[in-house]
Amino acid sequence: MAKVHIGKNVLDHQLLDKNGRRCGNVDDLGIEDDVVVAIYSGPGVWPQRAGWIGRLAGWIGGGNRVRIPWDEVAKIDSAVHLKQTAADYGLGSGDDRLRPYLEKIPGSHR
Amino acid sequence: MSKLLNLALGILAAIGGFVDIGDLVFNTAAGATFGYQLMWVIPIGVVGIIVYSEMCGRVAAVSGKAVFDAVRERVGFKAGLFALISSELVNLLTLAAEIGGVAIALQLLSGLDYVVLLPLTVVGLAVVVWTTQLDWIERIFGYGGLCLLVFAVAAVKLGPPWVKVGNGFIPHLAQNNPWLYLYFVVGLLGAAMTPYEVYFYSSGGIEDRWTPKDIGLNRANAIVGYGLGGFLSLALMITGAAVFLKHGINPEHLGTIALGTEEPLGKIGLLLALVGILFAVGGASIDTVFSGAYNLAQFFGWEWGRYRHPAGAPRFTLTWLVLFVAAFAIVVTGVDPVMLTEYAVIFSAVALPLTYIPILLVANDPEYMRANRNGRLANVLGLVYLVMIMVIAITAIPLMLITNVGQN
Repeated sequence: MAKVHIGKNVLDHQLLDKNGRRCGNVDDLGIEDDVVVAIYSGPGVWPQRAGWIGRLAGWIGGGNRVRIPWDEVAKIDSAVHLKQTAADYGLGSGDDRLRPYLEKIPGSHR
Repeated sequence: MSKLLNLALGILAAIGGFVDIGDLVFNTAAGATFGYQLMWVIPIGVVGIIVYSEMCGRVAAVSGKAVFDAVRERVGFKAGLFALISSELVNLLTLAAEIGGVAIALQLLSGLDYVVLLPLTVVGLAVVVWTTQLDWIERIFGYGGLCLLVFAVAAVKLGPPWVKVGNGFIPHLAQNNPWLYLYFVVGLLGAAMTPYEVYFYSSGGIEDRWTPKDIGLNRANAIVGYGLGGFLSLALMITGAAVFLKHGINPEHLGTIALGTEEPLGKIGLLLALVGILFAVGGASIDTVFSGAYNLAQFFGWEWGRYRHPAGAPRFTLTWLVLFVAAFAIVVTGVDPVMLTEYAVIFSAVALPLTYIPILLVANDPEYMRANRNGRLANVLGLVYLVMIMVIAITAIPLMLITNVGQN
């Protein structure tokens, strides 16, 4: 992997699963002994990023937090690509939970 | 050949799609209040929207990033969230004003009650968005909006004093009521550079799968589309000056704006103006509702896109549905859409720097943009406009308070 700047090329970037599905954003990084070990994504991370307004946004979002081990990163370009599908990590669950309801409306698959 | 045809069709749609309720209200009211003295502001606003649209279209083509991707990456989560919330609030106000505008146009065309037409408008727009592909939406509303060209015919037919019109292009300050004059300067610039246009433009570039090869197309689209759209703004201001200033009328109702075409062109002029307003503002409300959904989805990394079916991007779809409902809730209170428009434009002027600063930063980032980063012209213009936007943002609300929202 080419040299990347964690703050600039990873944090706050789009997460894409192996099928190119947009499945969240890099909301925080897990760092142990100066080594990045994980990516955190989801509303549960927002409070520590933005104070009361982050707490409010996280509460509205349901407070879910997903941890993805750094080994699961396949590639970093303008987005962060993951090795498995979103469902494998529990990412994009908001979309998955909502989909069946929208599918009940005619024309949702036009 | 088909590429040229596509460009031509796209440009036609852009002319029809440029003018929204903010442009209609501010250009006509400026003409009705200050005659031709504010003509100079229109080209400045048009160049501003061209500069920043071209920039974020290029960023989209080269890096695959839309505006709120860039906002979050460049200013981080906390400041980005602040920018997101302000943009969404301004977007919602704009959407509410536009829905009210569509209902007024329908009311004047059909004679039905405004309160009955409001829910029909919202449901109708939502059904169109749900069932119709967005390139078709753009065409239908863009071509319908071309009826607004009737204002250009009216402007010529009214035979304005062309020397005075010409002098209006020289920037100056009015002797009488300078605060109101400045309020209009800010409003006209805010209306021309409405942020939702930039969100929609950049996300559209990504949806159309622009690559660095499309940079020329992007530039042509931005210059010609917005340039010709600005031409309509000039026509609106001339009509406002030639009809309303003469009779001392302040066009406080959207229907009054359409009446500007009746004096020179009769009933057919009025009809075309109303149809034009209906389609232009209807198209703008769809652009606005999508912009709101794009921003939220991009900031949080959700799946988004109009070319996906509604079930393909569930949270994105839910967002635009909720925005429609929220905008309806605002406008159904009976608040006047023209008043709402003025607030929307002034608050969007305040929020402009939050959008434009990250775009300028990303467009200069060699890592993303490589050979396609901003050249000297784009940067000089970008910085000049950034300074101007900052001044506008700081002065907008004081001017609104001093002039009692343009009422004195």
